[in-house]
Amino acid sequence: MREREYSVSWLNNYIGMMFQQDFLLSHIKVTGEVSNCKYHTSGHIYFTLKDEKSQISAVMFAGNRKGLAFRMQEGQNVCVEGSIKVYERDGKYQLYASRIELAGIGNLYEQFEKKKRELEEMGMFSPEYKQPIPKYAKRIGIVTAPTGAAIRDIMNISYRRNPYIQLILCPSLVQGDQAALNIARAIECLDNEQVDVIIVGRGGGSMEDLWAFNEEIVARAIFSCMTPVISAVGHETDFTIADFVADLRAPTPSAAAELAVADFRQTLELMMGYQKRLRELMQEKIEYQRTKTESYRMRLQFLSPVEKIRRQRENLLRMEERLQSDFEGILLKKRQKYQIYIEKMKGLSPLLKLNQGYAFVEDQQKKAVYSVMQVKPEDVVTIYVSDGKIQAEVKNTVDLGMKGVGHGEKRTGE
Amino acid sequence: MLVMEKKGQENKDFSLEEGFQTLDELMGQLEGKELALEEAFTVYARGMEVLKQCNDAIDRVEKKMLVLNEQGEYHDF
Repeated sequence: MREREYSVSWLNNYIGMMFQQDFLLSHIKVTGEVSNCKYHTSGHIYFTLKDEKSQISAVMFAGNRKGLAFRMQEGQNVCVEGSIKVYERDGKYQLYASRIELAGIGNLYEQFEKKKRELEEMGMFSPEYKQPIPKYAKRIGIVTAPTGAAIRDIMNISYRRNPYIQLILCPSLVQGDQAALNIARAIECLDNEQVDVIIVGRGGGSMEDLWAFNEEIVARAIFSCMTPVISAVGHETDFTIADFVADLRAPTPSAAAELAVADFRQTLELMMGYQKRLRELMQEKIEYQRTKTESYRMRLQFLSPVEKIRRQRENLLRMEERLQSDFEGILLKKRQKYQIYIEKMKGLSPLLKLNQGYAFVEDQQKKAVYSVMQVKPEDVVTIYVSDGKIQAEVKNTVDLGMKGVGHGEKRTGE
Repeated sequence: MLVMEKKGQENKDFSLEEGFQTLDELMGQLEGKELALEEAFTVYARGMEVLKQCNDAIDRVEKKMLVLNEQGEYHDF
């Protein structure tokens, strides 16, 4: 039986398919040391990943570059995530990277913790060394990269809050080997420039990107800086050694600008508030004294002899009135009693009877005549009527034999 | 520009923060009822003087950011 012959392309294609079908090779993480790293102008990165015994060529295509957050360099230990495929043209298999991380990331974190512990033990984070941040700084020093978001943010926020503030940038690298030394030198520079506060920082990035701010030389520069320092490294969640040494940590560069620059309008408002309050207080003070004076005046007036006399005169008047009204009361009562007596008397008076046509007869001895027996003809009697008296002479008397009917008034004769 | 510098020199020892602190203290005194009127006038006059100093201390000249180079020279950003 004759063996079948295959073409090279068919073979490489076949091998390629085998690789593709393999579960492990289609998604794999490989760690190793970078060598032969080439950043191609097309954006692709070619490099070799190796360990002590072996090596594999690798490529990261431009389209996957967002999976790489740092600049790869020779000798770095990295962890590459991707797939193994066959490059059919050369009959080579390669690692196609979709994500590359520094393998030492755990290491970096350990280094950070170690450094932090060391410096903490030295007392570089102690609160007693923290300087207060001046509230109304006029000159603000900034250590950061002259390009990039951080300086823009700081400028925008600062000038928005106070257009009259003087910002002084001491440009520095904030990433890479030279960054730490650069930052430290810039801090020293600004410390000699009579600025009120220094902001040291940069925008967000990976732990590697921010690493310069974990270096001891930066920590020492901040610690020995006579000017208060605000650190502003990365985002809210990023903490660096610089943050612990600084007099104040701002979560972002924008926040640092807010902490360093007092809002101009607020300052003016504060001043106007002071002025207003000062005037008010003085006004109150004067008003208080005026009221006090007035109350003394009133007390004095109350105690004056004139006032005493006036009050006594008033008393007298009141007493007089009372006396009068009491007296009138008594008088009224007596008068009423008197009226009652009058009425009673009226009931008993003979005059009333005279009014009704009756008369009262008196003989010459002024004795009441109530019987025919008392008079005889030619006696003169006096007849009393309601409005006067009549002198009359008796002509005759007739006894009607009605003795016993009262006193028997004498009917005047016709 | 010269005038500005002179002004800055005069107020070198004066900071807004201290000014406001002094004002707080003066107001505390004024708020106390015990203060005699004459003393109150003195305190008030002092307060107004400090306010004026504060006002003088506020810079009202807009500035551009400066860049300090390694030779210690300034230039515009």
